[in-house]
Amino acid sequence: MMWLSGGFIFRRGDSFYHRLDPRAKLLNSVLMFVTTLLARSIFEMVLVIVFMVGLSAAATVLKRVARTMAFTALFSGFIFVVNVLFTRDLETSVLYAIRFIAIVVSTSIFFITTSPDELEQVMKMFRLPRDVVFAFVTAVRFIPVMMLDTIQIMDAQKSRGLELEKGNLIRRVRNMIPILIPLVVNSVVRSGELAEAMEARAYGAVPRPTSLLVYRARRADVGVVCAAVALFAIAAYSFYFVVPVRFP
Amino acid sequence: MADILKVEGLSFRYPDSPKNAVSDFELSIPEGEIVVLAGPSGCGKSTLLRTVNGLIPHMYGGEYSGDVLVAGSSVKRSSMRDLAQTVGFLFQNPENQIFMFSVERDVAFGLENLGVPREEMRARVDEALRLLRIGDLAQRAPHELSDGQKQRVALAGVLAMRPKLVILDEPTSLLDPKTASELVALVARLRKELGTTFVVVEHRLDLLVGVADRLVVMDGGRKVLEGTPRDVLFRDEAEAHGVAVPAVTKVQKLLAERETGRAAAGRLLTPSGLASAVEGRQA
Repeated sequence: MMWLSGGFIFRRGDSFYHRLDPRAKLLNSVLMFVTTLLARSIFEMVLVIVFMVGLSAAATVLKRVARTMAFTALFSGFIFVVNVLFTRDLETSVLYAIRFIAIVVSTSIFFITTSPDELEQVMKMFRLPRDVVFAFVTAVRFIPVMMLDTIQIMDAQKSRGLELEKGNLIRRVRNMIPILIPLVVNSVVRSGELAEAMEARAYGAVPRPTSLLVYRARRADVGVVCAAVALFAIAAYSFYFVVPVRFP
Repeated sequence: MADILKVEGLSFRYPDSPKNAVSDFELSIPEGEIVVLAGPSGCGKSTLLRTVNGLIPHMYGGEYSGDVLVAGSSVKRSSMRDLAQTVGFLFQNPENQIFMFSVERDVAFGLENLGVPREEMRARVDEALRLLRIGDLAQRAPHELSDGQKQRVALAGVLAMRPKLVILDEPTSLLDPKTASELVALVARLRKELGTTFVVVEHRLDLLVGVADRLVVMDGGRKVLEGTPRDVLFRDEAEAHGVAVPAVTKVQKLLAERETGRAAAGRLLTPSGLASAVEGRQA
């Protein structure tokens, strides 16, 4: 699980892509996402993936994107098998399987290069209610805290003789109960304390809170957005309106 | 100086509780004092603190009588918004009062909530970071901080709102001895630089007696002792009410009982005071 989450959790980086305006990164990922849906042949799909791999390399996150791809390959293998069984069309089945990987990668690139701070700004831009944005912020903020909590509880229960790695599947799931209950209780207590601290820091005092940080699009952001839109236009035109391009 | 905090005949009982958490409590604190609140666990300290910043009665229901005045206005009739700007509250666990992903944004959290304009907010955040000497941590994420650093970040967030009165609820309970004494030195410095009043709940009295102006001891929801730390700690009842009397004070009391400590002038609270008294006697 931890290994998988590596493909979606932000870690601080310092590439040109990390420094882009979050809106530019979001648009870029959305366009890549749509392009994967427009690709109608394996060749086109491979082109899209090659582009995304190149982008990941430029953004210095290739290793983690590769990890995401390796993990999604399991699911896409399943998609391939089901498709072959039902459509009996090998090319379409391969296409769907690769498309699934491409879709996951397009979103993964956004999440691993966008800090939670930037995600919050994006959510605010969509004018989501403050409470919703704040709930998201605290959820992400407390992920590492809860992970630490879980490890501590596991250690405590193991030292009391709980054997987590024993028995069949049902037994193992049941073994998690002594971990989950203290974790939930801890979180409830924590949320109470958070609520008090929020009140003490005037949460909800004014309907329109101000913000310490502002994001202003720089020339580089505008350039990237233009390039992305142009590239998308070309890809969309050739993938959708021209006969599907296949391997020569 | 005017009283920043005045508690008048306060009693409070939680909804499901058979007895009062705080009973007939009276307290006046002039501006600029450092007051330490001590007493055994469950004696009503935390409840009392929550009546000062308005969490009681605004967030918790219960039976409330008497009044609490902060800077002259009644907590009952003030909004949480106004109270948040006069009373700063540093909770026991700093982890649960840091909300944002970076230190500087968390310090700005209260100001954002109040709708403070950006330029002013920037200045106040930088000032708070400077006061606590954590400017170098500004871009760090909460999980990259030590407990002591988290404590200072949380306090910076409180101070950025420029409260006149700051409440610290067992601020050293999660800190190692060195970080704890640094925090105490910080409190003394802030009082001197900003004139802020501090109410501190603390079990480790030996850390605070050097800087505190007053010590209030609670037991069973009531105020049982009040005075300067010197007066209170030398009374025999102090220990009976569960107060951790500093070792230095105990040594001096023992010496006084044996009538050999009379040369040690005054009432001693700190190791350095004891040391010089002993040296003085030997000379």
